Amino acid sequence: MSKNVEQTVRDVMSIILNLDAAEINDDTSMDNTPGWDSANHINLILALEEEFLISFEVSEFELMVSYFDVVQVVGSKL
Amino acid sequence: MTECNNALVTKRTADIGVELRGAISQSLKAGTMAQAHQGARALLASSPSLLNYKFLRQLVEEMSPDLQGIRPYRVALLSSFSIEFIHDALIAYGFANGLRIEIYQSGFGLISQEILDPNSGLYGFKPDVAVLAIEGEDWLPEVYSNFMDADQTSANFEQLIHGFKIKMTGLLRTFRAASTASLLIHSLAQPQFLRAGIADASLTHGQARLVVDLNRALADASADIVAAHVVDYAGLVSQFGAQHWYDARMRLYAKAPIALNMLGNLAQEYLKYFRALTGLSKKCLVVDLDNTLWGGVIGEDGIDGIQLGPNYPGSAFVEFQRAILDLHRRGVILAVASKNNPADVDAVFAEHRFMMIRKEHFAELQIHWNPKKDSIQRIASRLNIGLEHMVFVDDNPAECEQVRRELPMVTVIELPRRPELYAQTLVSQGLFDTLAQSDEDRRRGQLYQQRAMAESARSASTNIEDYYRDLAMKLSLAPVDSGSRTRAAQLTQKTNQFNITTVRYSEAELDARLGAADDMLVTVGVLDRFGDNGIVGLMMARVEVDRLAIDTFLLSCRVIGRTVETAMLAYLCEAAQQRGLDKLFGQVVPTEKNMPARDLFEKHGFRKLGEDQSGTTTWELNLASATVQVPDWFEMQAAPSSNKLAAPASNPEPVHV
Repeated sequence: MSKNVEQTVRDVMSIILNLDAAEINDDTSMDNTPGWDSANHINLILALEEEFLISFEVSEFELMVSYFDVVQVVGSKL
Repeated sequence: MTECNNALVTKRTADIGVELRGAISQSLKAGTMAQAHQGARALLASSPSLLNYKFLRQLVEEMSPDLQGIRPYRVALLSSFSIEFIHDALIAYGFANGLRIEIYQSGFGLISQEILDPNSGLYGFKPDVAVLAIEGEDWLPEVYSNFMDADQTSANFEQLIHGFKIKMTGLLRTFRAASTASLLIHSLAQPQFLRAGIADASLTHGQARLVVDLNRALADASADIVAAHVVDYAGLVSQFGAQHWYDARMRLYAKAPIALNMLGNLAQEYLKYFRALTGLSKKCLVVDLDNTLWGGVIGEDGIDGIQLGPNYPGSAFVEFQRAILDLHRRGVILAVASKNNPADVDAVFAEHRFMMIRKEHFAELQIHWNPKKDSIQRIASRLNIGLEHMVFVDDNPAECEQVRRELPMVTVIELPRRPELYAQTLVSQGLFDTLAQSDEDRRRGQLYQQRAMAESARSASTNIEDYYRDLAMKLSLAPVDSGSRTRAAQLTQKTNQFNITTVRYSEAELDARLGAADDMLVTVGVLDRFGDNGIVGLMMARVEVDRLAIDTFLLSCRVIGRTVETAMLAYLCEAAQQRGLDKLFGQVVPTEKNMPARDLFEKHGFRKLGEDQSGTTTWELNLASATVQVPDWFEMQAAPSSNKLAAPASNPEPVHV
């Protein structure tokens, strides 16, 4: 069974940010998630690159500050 | 964002690892730690990804601190750049190797401050090992990005190299004076591109050559410091290629120059050192034969049909045999576990002209049709080597899986399908790597053969005392000195069975005790009619008011069962009396493995003083009324002499009477 982008982003975020996958929603963001600090932000970006076999530009790092934004940016590169 | 069918979304981790991750969690819940480590090794081998590193790190951090079967290990990372992204990988690979790694991370660029300040967090952390992770770009910008700014004269370069050596020597000495932790120091990697372009090679003092000279200065500086080791970081970067190793984005954005997908490789390089420092290096390699040492199946293809020789694929097997033989020469014990007819195999050893490994290189051959897990267990017990020190290599996934499941302590190398990758697969993990090569290491293969012969002599003797006499053993007892310190530390790290306290010492820690006037550290060498076994025992004791207190007393398994321990205790009795002490004191800390040592004191007439909750017992011998005698089958090459008991480290001569 194939999984969609949202499901994969959710899996990656739950492992890297140590969150319950079910709790992640569009509003989950750096501002309201304690585990999502600047160091883990880098970890998250690189884990997404690994999982989707893509590469982000530095300008995109700063766009991906919430679950919603991450899905947007990842989706635009597939 | 709409849903997107993920034919494009090639998942590396999430799906591959689901079952393995579940199994590891299960093993931990069930308390089968060896199985959990085995699972982590399999997970990291099949999918070394950031997600799996993070997953394993979270498991380690949620583990109850008193879980058995995993060893705490404190690592201080001092770096000239942001290295904290390695933490997940380092903890994950540590777990796969049986280590529970705790990390102290300095701020980047604070190496000197941390080392020079005696009250720094570094020393407060009390690390087992400290890593100086240096990138030349940060540490010596005048050699890297600012190279063209410099005045390129000989005098200037000499001064630069000299200044670097002085600075590093100062830091290493300061650290060594404040801490007994082992030290790992990165060598300098070559610049990613040479500032002078292709002209660099023709410059008298080109950039590339300057880096080579600086690395030589670094090697010299660290050679003078006990327990300091240079990590060949330059070699590691070139092995993977600078273009893959570095990520310019992350260097400029996050001061984290190493590409994150390379940090697992750096973590594995560190683990080679951690294993060697904690006695987790492997000692014995058990190999399969068909499609492992040669291509094809001897029982079917016959001696003329198997692939081994100058042409591919035979050439790949020749290369693999060469790699195995190199390990043998480094002191790794070799054994065979093969399902075959012994006569077929004997013919290959005797007649095949391209066999590099001879039958006599193997300490033990298990060639029959019984399960390989039984063969490996038999090899382990015959050679007296713990399963955790064994590596099994086979091309057959089913055999590998059976051994992984039945003997989780054993490290299994499942060979890839293509034989040209065999040699690299065997050596790249550095499972057998040791920090130094001692004479004992180089001679170990022969020693095990002698041991096998001594065993047969034992069965030939009818009476045990005849056997001891027949061995014609000569003991040489000598204070630990700079020549034997490496071996002494190695013995404390590797000896599990005949070891009363199982306290591990680094060379630096031994060094600290060598200087203490009340301490005596004595090595034991055993020579018998089969040859010189080298240094196989160690005693450490300290004068405490009216008694000599033994805190380390160990014997290599090579000489267990020969009453060497009695002669050692006799030596200590005499040493105590010569110092006017009337009691010999000792304790036994029971471990899973040290059964052979537990009755040491009881057997020699010591009185039991007490036993605590953990089972540790304390013992005393009153020398006014009792003593221990050297059994008459030993010839003693040395005896204690009171004025030289606490010989300083600089005194290399053994004690003679």
